[in-house]
Amino acid sequence: MGGPSTTKVRYRDRVVEVRPGETLLAALSRRGLPILERSARYRRPRGPFCGIGQCTGCLVRVNDRPLVRACRHNPADGDVVANESGWPSVRFDLFGAVDLLTPGGLDPFRGFRRPGFLVPLYQRVVRRLSGYGRYSVEVIPSAPGPVPIYRSTDIAIIGAGTSGRAAAERLVSLGARPLLLDRAPGSAAPDGAERIGNASVSMLTPPTPDGPREFSLLGFVENGGGFSVRARTVVVATGGYDGPLLFAGNDRPGVVTADLVLGLTPDQERSWFRRAALVGGGPRAREVLDRLGQKVAAVIAPGEVRPEVVRAASDLDIPIYPRSLILAAQGRKRIRRLELAARGQGPHFSLACDGVVLAHRRLPNSSLLFQGGVEMEWRAGTGAYYPTVEPAGRTSVPGLYAIGEVAGVGRADARASGERVADAIAPRSVTAAAPAEALPRVPRDGPSELEGYYRELLGERRSGRWVACRCEDVLLDDVERAHRAGYRGIEVLKRHTSLGAGLCQGRYCLPDALLLLAIREERPPSEVGYIRQRPPVYPTPLAALASLDPTGPAERP
Amino acid sequence: MTLGRSSYRTAIVGGGIVGLFTAYHLAKAGAGPILIVDRGFLSGGASGRNGGGVRQQWETRATVRLAREAVAVYRRFGREFGYNPWFRQSGYLFVAESSTELARLTTVHDLVRSEGLGSELLKPDAIAAKVPGIASGSLVGGTYLRSDGVLYPFPAIWGVYEAVRALGVEVAFGVDAVGVETKDGRVAGLRTSAGSVVTPTVVNAAGGWSGDFSRRAGLAVPNVATRHEILATESLKPFLDPMVVRVSDGLYFSQTVHGEIVGGLTIPHPSGTASGLPSSSEFLRRMARALVKLLPGLAGLGVLRAWSGFYDDTPDGLPVIGEDPRLPGFVHANGFGGHGFMLAPASSARVARAVLGEPTGLDPALFAPARFSAPGAAAAPERLQLG
Repeated sequence: MGGPSTTKVRYRDRVVEVRPGETLLAALSRRGLPILERSARYRRPRGPFCGIGQCTGCLVRVNDRPLVRACRHNPADGDVVANESGWPSVRFDLFGAVDLLTPGGLDPFRGFRRPGFLVPLYQRVVRRLSGYGRYSVEVIPSAPGPVPIYRSTDIAIIGAGTSGRAAAERLVSLGARPLLLDRAPGSAAPDGAERIGNASVSMLTPPTPDGPREFSLLGFVENGGGFSVRARTVVVATGGYDGPLLFAGNDRPGVVTADLVLGLTPDQERSWFRRAALVGGGPRAREVLDRLGQKVAAVIAPGEVRPEVVRAASDLDIPIYPRSLILAAQGRKRIRRLELAARGQGPHFSLACDGVVLAHRRLPNSSLLFQGGVEMEWRAGTGAYYPTVEPAGRTSVPGLYAIGEVAGVGRADARASGERVADAIAPRSVTAAAPAEALPRVPRDGPSELEGYYRELLGERRSGRWVACRCEDVLLDDVERAHRAGYRGIEVLKRHTSLGAGLCQGRYCLPDALLLLAIREERPPSEVGYIRQRPPVYPTPLAALASLDPTGPAERP
Repeated sequence: MTLGRSSYRTAIVGGGIVGLFTAYHLAKAGAGPILIVDRGFLSGGASGRNGGGVRQQWETRATVRLAREAVAVYRRFGREFGYNPWFRQSGYLFVAESSTELARLTTVHDLVRSEGLGSELLKPDAIAAKVPGIASGSLVGGTYLRSDGVLYPFPAIWGVYEAVRALGVEVAFGVDAVGVETKDGRVAGLRTSAGSVVTPTVVNAAGGWSGDFSRRAGLAVPNVATRHEILATESLKPFLDPMVVRVSDGLYFSQTVHGEIVGGLTIPHPSGTASGLPSSSEFLRRMARALVKLLPGLAGLGVLRAWSGFYDDTPDGLPVIGEDPRLPGFVHANGFGGHGFMLAPASSARVARAVLGEPTGLDPALFAPARFSAPGAAAAPERLQLG
């Protein structure tokens, strides 16, 4: 029996104890990787994927709130948690038959048209199947309602990772009092700085000639109200995330990102994986290797494997497969086996495993920069867009700076990146030494390694579901079909296939889609265009937005 | 980008739903070769940015009739065009918060009924039955027409786009219409960023940019582009059937087949196309506040994305359809005031007739380009510019 301080939530028919500081996902999955939902179109079982509150792998219903990300939710005692999908249950969903009955895929915009008199019936059925969360009129009005936060500051830093924190510390030492906004919980900030934790910035509006002379940041605190911050200078230090990879069954429970693995609690780490295939041959793969150790079944890299990873794997007697095509993950509710082939028409082989950890590609979390109108440039090294910045992190938008991983700066230089921006923007001018050399960044030119990989992969015979967009269940075949029908450019493709229209805001589908289109349209990825990043960059609860003064008070007194 | 030919029978500026449907009718009439140029990408303008509402409740009889025809087209669209726009006829519900607003709706109701459409006047409790969880305390009543509905704009665009391409229409995206060439006081060609082409007819179907293009052609027009914002939420199981529109502030929302709540609210922005299509934090706050107040059950739901688009407004709220008497060969198909998607299937057949030199069958006092310069009493304007 727990004392008064224990938190208990009800999940389906059982009571789950939540340890202090644990997320809902951690509490629900202490004994193994859970299946919490079914996918949008084919009702495929889905498990947690990103672990950092960006994907749609752990959506549950908490009390009257639909579509809560379990990995972001800090439970309160008495929370009632339910699955949003699956009938009779999420593990055994009769509608899962849709997946088996539509091997050729399902095109919602071409099908269900005939005969005319059946169309209203199709609509009723499809509406019922495709809706996601549940609407409840029995809302417990949350009195006194979410409390909004208003701040006015000279310098706001978005993201309290290595670079953002370094910038804050340096700024404090130079006499400034920056405001740190961070998605992670907790309130620790360097003395002299203020930090708002659990805070997602959804929208960044630069000053306009006829409007306010300050940046406006709009966002929400997890499970709380909205916030509105005005700042003269904004430093974007939103970091990066581990990217997706296309193969058959790439959406199966057990396929996860390195972000998720590195954030596992000890309980989860013990119970989730016994032999995971680790994808990647760079520093990120090394981190996963250090964490999972003997639980890694093999290191598989789309390209080369770096010597330090080879060394680390060899020390643990873990086999290494460099330059390998990942063709398919077998298994339905859990990965059982991975089908592989050596690149360059090499032999096919397979590997028994219970998970696939994606650590092959770090991508910048650049949505806010796109949305804020910053000039972006294509960098072939990772195959992604980064802001065009000067050495200190200054972007094309005056007053807006980008540092650390989101600016393409490597982990080793993250601190330096933060310190430099602090020196540049601190109110008390620093006796500047000679202008600093630019920090090394993700290579801009050269062949994109992953593009070459996909070029080869697309030449392989395909079967199974290649999920190009997890949120909306858009398949690689859908993308290829749209291309064959004459639709060109990523913006049109997005609208034609619904790829990128889901809750991850395109983070886990557009990076690969850009490479695929580049290959199919036979032009460089940078010419395929990019998606105009629409606000909010994170789904933002209506209640949080509604908590804010609609006209926006003068946040600076 | 180079254009396929040097000369066309008709050049259409704007590859949105209006331009595409116009090309469709012309091509079916055998009036090729036809060129469509568009400065952006397919579905990049208001045709890909609207809320998908299709209604027949209007203040002017002519608009009611056009809309009724458009509804018939969207009903059979899936069979005719090969794409399913999921046109769902589960009604448009206008709600009033004052007796003045209700009186206005009642006038619309009477007109709509006189056209043989089954509009219903609803009391607040009947509204509450149609919109579960609505805070109906502030409402005094409303009107409801079940045969109105909502659709997905995108598949509708793909359907007409593929149909016109199959009919041999050349559609060039990323090509800006710079101006028209004239000879002996009439249209002789179209100048574009991809070169000039010879054509005796230019159709201005440029939506929000149509005022800009008419002026580039040297024609003074009253069209004004106004920016309107809209948002979509995360997806919910179906609970809301009709499109709901509040008369007082223009708040509108519906639920798509996929479950998202899509809706908007009018807040004033500077007019013109120059400032582009940003979204405002004010809109998000106002819209969220209005939605949560009216439907408290949505409070925990997340806003997924917000965007904006241009309405192409005219002083009397009616579209401009027909040849411009000041410049023969220059045909207007614009001024739809945010309702092009609703009316295009019907209005475009008339535009095609104007291009072919046939009578459009539309009342010139209501739709002709000359009406703004004509002396005398203006016809009754259309002010139900909501949702």
